[in-house]
Amino acid sequence: MGGILVVAEHLRGNLSAQTGEVIGLARELKAAVGGPLVVAVIAADPVRFHAELALDGVDEVLAVEAGEHFDPAVYEEAAHRLALEMKPRLVMLGHTVNGMGFGPALAVRLGGSFVSDAFGVEAEGGRLLALRGGYGNKVLTKIDVSASCVTTLMLRGGSAKPPPAGSAPLRIVPLDLQAAAVRAAEHRDYVDPPPADVDITKAEFILSVGRGIQDEKNIERFRALAERLGATFGCSRPIADSGWLPKAHQVGLSGKVAQNCKLYIALGISGAVQHLHGMKHVETIVAVNTDRNAPIYNVATYGATVDLFELADALEREFN
Amino acid sequence: MQTRELFSQFSPFAFGMFYLIAIAAMAAFVVGLAQHILRYRRGRPAGVPVDWRGGLRLMLDDVVTHRTLSRRDPYAGAAHRLIFFGFATLFVGTSTITLEYDIVKPLTGQTFWKGWFYLGFSLVMDIAGVMLVAGLVMMIARRAWFGLAKLDYVRRYRGDTAPLPRATAWKVEDWVFLVTLLLIALSGFLQEAVRLIVDRPPLSDLSPVGAALGGLLSGLGLDAAGAAAVRRANWWIHGVLALSFIAGVAWTKGKHMVAAFGSLAVRDSRSVARLPAVAEGDPVGVTRMDDFSWRDLLHFDACTKCGRCHDACPARNSNYPLSPRDVILDLRLLAQSGDGAADPHHVIPPETLWACLSCGACAEICPVGIEQPVKILKMRRALVDKGEMDPTLRGVLETVANVGNSFGEPARKRGAWTRELEFPVKDARKEPVEALWFVGDFASFDPRSQTISRLVARLFNAGGLDFGILFDGERTAGNDIRRVGEEGLFEALSAHNGAQMAQSAFDWIVTTDPHSLNTLRNEYGEAVKGRKVLHYTNVLADWLESGRLKVTKPLGRRVTYHDPCHLGRLNKEYDAPRRVLRAIGCELVEMPRSRDNSFCCGAGGGRIWTPDPPGVEKPSHGRMHEAAALGNIDIFVTCCPKDLTMFEDARKASGHEGDFLVADIAELVAEAVELRAIPANYLPELANRIAESLAEKVTARVVPELIQALAAQSGRLLVAPPVLPAAEPTDIAAEPAVVDAVPAASGEWSVAPVAPAILADYDRPAKTGLRILVAVKHVGKLGDEFRFRPDGLDVVPEDLDYQLNEFDETAIEAALQLVEGLGEGEVVAVTIGSEEAEPSLRKALAKGAHRGVRVWSDAVSPADPIAVAALLAGVASLEAADLVLTGVQSSDFANGATAAALGGILGWPHAAVVVEMQWDGKGRLDITRELEGGVRHRQSLPAPAVLSIQSGANVPRYATMRMIKEARSKPVADAAMEAIGAEATGRRVAAMDRPPVGQAAMLEGSAAEIAARVAAIVREKKGG
Repeated sequence: MGGILVVAEHLRGNLSAQTGEVIGLARELKAAVGGPLVVAVIAADPVRFHAELALDGVDEVLAVEAGEHFDPAVYEEAAHRLALEMKPRLVMLGHTVNGMGFGPALAVRLGGSFVSDAFGVEAEGGRLLALRGGYGNKVLTKIDVSASCVTTLMLRGGSAKPPPAGSAPLRIVPLDLQAAAVRAAEHRDYVDPPPADVDITKAEFILSVGRGIQDEKNIERFRALAERLGATFGCSRPIADSGWLPKAHQVGLSGKVAQNCKLYIALGISGAVQHLHGMKHVETIVAVNTDRNAPIYNVATYGATVDLFELADALEREFN
Repeated sequence: MQTRELFSQFSPFAFGMFYLIAIAAMAAFVVGLAQHILRYRRGRPAGVPVDWRGGLRLMLDDVVTHRTLSRRDPYAGAAHRLIFFGFATLFVGTSTITLEYDIVKPLTGQTFWKGWFYLGFSLVMDIAGVMLVAGLVMMIARRAWFGLAKLDYVRRYRGDTAPLPRATAWKVEDWVFLVTLLLIALSGFLQEAVRLIVDRPPLSDLSPVGAALGGLLSGLGLDAAGAAAVRRANWWIHGVLALSFIAGVAWTKGKHMVAAFGSLAVRDSRSVARLPAVAEGDPVGVTRMDDFSWRDLLHFDACTKCGRCHDACPARNSNYPLSPRDVILDLRLLAQSGDGAADPHHVIPPETLWACLSCGACAEICPVGIEQPVKILKMRRALVDKGEMDPTLRGVLETVANVGNSFGEPARKRGAWTRELEFPVKDARKEPVEALWFVGDFASFDPRSQTISRLVARLFNAGGLDFGILFDGERTAGNDIRRVGEEGLFEALSAHNGAQMAQSAFDWIVTTDPHSLNTLRNEYGEAVKGRKVLHYTNVLADWLESGRLKVTKPLGRRVTYHDPCHLGRLNKEYDAPRRVLRAIGCELVEMPRSRDNSFCCGAGGGRIWTPDPPGVEKPSHGRMHEAAALGNIDIFVTCCPKDLTMFEDARKASGHEGDFLVADIAELVAEAVELRAIPANYLPELANRIAESLAEKVTARVVPELIQALAAQSGRLLVAPPVLPAAEPTDIAAEPAVVDAVPAASGEWSVAPVAPAILADYDRPAKTGLRILVAVKHVGKLGDEFRFRPDGLDVVPEDLDYQLNEFDETAIEAALQLVEGLGEGEVVAVTIGSEEAEPSLRKALAKGAHRGVRVWSDAVSPADPIAVAALLAGVASLEAADLVLTGVQSSDFANGATAAALGGILGWPHAAVVVEMQWDGKGRLDITRELEGGVRHRQSLPAPAVLSIQSGANVPRYATMRMIKEARSKPVADAAMEAIGAEATGRRVAAMDRPPVGQAAMLEGSAAEIAARVAAIVREKKGG
């Protein structure tokens, strides 16, 4: 009894990067929670994920044979069976599209505590406090899961680092998943997204330019810089209004909200409310503007009042 | 006694023939006129009061002075004046002859057209004929050689290079009109000349032009016999031309000769400033021609295609796809087709309607009193009613409906700009004031405008004005909301603001915002109750001139001033700002387009909320070029918050950053009166206020941590204790509310599946077809400033603004599209929430859900998706639902868990993050889920099922205020919860805190050093 059960996720033969992150946090919590760290993978050929899942800190990898494609009913049923057998204190999975597809259903069958979109767990003095956002991430919320004998926890992407490789043994667990058949989904196919045009809402890393770039002629130069850094190229309203860049690049109230952005570099943007609306929530914002009093510095994580053309040159050299 | 013989040497046949033609022509005129009038009568009521007496007087005045025609085009004014008075005189003359010959003489045997009257009459007719010819020749020359782009009707603003076929027809019509009139006049003179040659009356009948022409023709060899022949032929030419002209008046350009009188007579002195309301029971907008009012239909016919509006329109000037003239002309063509059911949206595309800035420049300059923006507005109303608008605009309307301002800020922050003042600003709702300051959205929330608001407050304070504001009681005045076409929302806003004003005591209203000023003054009616609505420049001008504010430092700057459309053109306040500028010692250099001809900044008519079409030069940029061309201007002065924003941006973007500054007039006044930012006598007050504000912040931050610290000291460690020297925790017992600390390991491991909550049965219709439940949530939204409750478990409720979870709107839309596609079925919106959640449920009903169900239990935390799902499961079971949809997540706690939890509790198939769904209502559901990175996974599921719908899967329909009102009568059942299992509830927040945030850490060093740091940040964040 006790321990942590991690349910792995994979798509079209590839393990999800988030599974490693979940294992990473689970490994950190192992001491506080007690018991083994067990990772379960549900797939047509689960054994092939063994090596990738046998990370440092993992005590056992469980292989459950089922359909190849994600099916919430099957995952829920399998995880439920494994939990009944293992009696873990924590069941952990990624807060992903598939995670959202079965995690909450698993949680209501287990009872106990449930935390989705968690980005950390504080374990001190025998207590477990899951951390998550609230009110549009304006507050930090702590959920006490110490009292429950089992807690289903879904971890936000990027909240932990995957551990190095380890040497956990593999156990194949034959499970009768017939109970899920009546609710099961039927797989049709996957459709790949159309060739990527600019999509501010989906971009995780955006480099935006504002009026500070001074001239339309400089657009190409900063576009090249963005490409070199691997960033999506964004802009503030005046740039789009001037027709220097298509509207799709505009971040802000009348443009696009950088919903999924983790890193935002604002070059020569003073930070009008309308622009801030589209990006102030971003975790890490680097702002470069010669005016130290520019409002952009109220939301920026890092700032620099350096000349942005000099900085652009230097950054190009950094990413050469 | 001298006179002349009519119908000289006519055979009875010819005589009869002429009367036949004449009667037919006049009948054609009368029938045409009657047809038009009957058509107008099919239109709706005017919507604004019509002042017949004042209108007629003003019309006569305008006609006599030709004022409206001469403005900004004296040449055309002069030419039209010659044509008009020449034509009118000739018309009266011809009518006089008819009066004698056909009425007075046959009835009484008396005649008066003889002797000196006849001679005088002849002379006047000759002069009038000359005027007419001169005017026509001037107009012909203008059309032929002036190269006026507005007269070729080519729609260059929408990329056309050649005229449309209808425009070619208009050009032909214009020429035919001018040439016909000219031929009538010239043939008249010829007739006179040959008559004089043949008859040789004494004094040549005092017809100098005819006599001179006769002399010329005789000199050229025309003898009496030839003249008699010409006289016979030309008589018919002249007569038939003139009668054809009369017959054609109602069907050609000539109709402006009648319609313009009507249009001018029914003019609204406050057109565009005051828009027509929608009468109860009338359609909201215009979707068929007879939805227009009779005034609108009359306006269409009054248009002379003169192009003054086309020239003045800032949208047309900036290459937006709009020319007010072409809108009127296209609508006229449709109106004249006579089909009242014809849809005007087929001839006026939405992009044209959305291009209008509601600045009133077109209506202002229209010589015949057409109100072009009103037609555009009425058509916009129809678009808004159907939800057909730019997504940005639609978002703004939703925001305004939700929080009462276009910035999406919480209402309680509306007065936050006053906090930095050294003196308290009165709350006009709580104590009587002399002046109520209606602040408006921009002046309240836009940071740049807030600094102006504070300056104005300090100026008011320095002048000793007893003023107050409504703080969070104020909402957007609604001027631009109304001009966008969201009449219902305007009504709601004006009713709200009116109610706030009703419970305040004040003598007059002042505002810095011309848009608010306009609607308060012209459209608020009862609420303002005849009290003055003044612009701050009115107040400042009076004070500066009377010495109530003393100029101690005359500025001596060279400035130019931009008249805000809503202040100048719409409310005729041109002088107050100029008086202010004079008083503070500025040299005012007027731009070519000033006062009534001021050029819109581009923000009006809701355009500030709508992205600009590609390829346009923004009106504000054009304005900057205009100001720069004045040369050596120090400051471009504005007195409108929207102007300040638009022109600050435009100055930089249009390359005039180095040419001049853009400043609000209050900034100049403050400098001229050397307003000290913090008067010494307010210092103690300020100290108090700072202390209060500090205390508030400290409480909000420290109390939760203090509680945690106390808990920590009593062996219940939550987090590392904060450094709090003041606290002496050992003496105080722990708060039991914090957490319950039982080590989990000590309990027995067991599962406790969550069961549906048991609800008491409630009223609902019998199930007759498909029934789709949509779970909707009333979510709390937190602004940038907020406080925590003393127990640290949540934020202070007052700091939350509630609204319908936006993600659920997509789910509602998906459900509606499904039942609409199937042609049957019922959409039931279900919310788990207290009575306070009712507005969101009603919003869901406004969007189209057929009925609502609300359930609540105090045992449930809205932050716990499982408890919410247990209650939803109770409803789904009772309702025997076929499908349950939820939004992908709620915008407050974003668990993204309700759908799967509900599926788990019910034991139903379920799927999350669905972007597409097809279902015939019977078999399996075909769904597409959107996975990370945009990959889509297509699956099928058995029904009944629970799906969470990804945002962006569709465009939720816009609930107009009309739909919101209608939703009030849709049924909502309050379901009572009878039992819920312990396992379903109990998940609670243990503590809430501020996430770690900080001011920007400044990176110092050389460009290379900073680049290295930035590169490190990039690599770290990218996981490299």
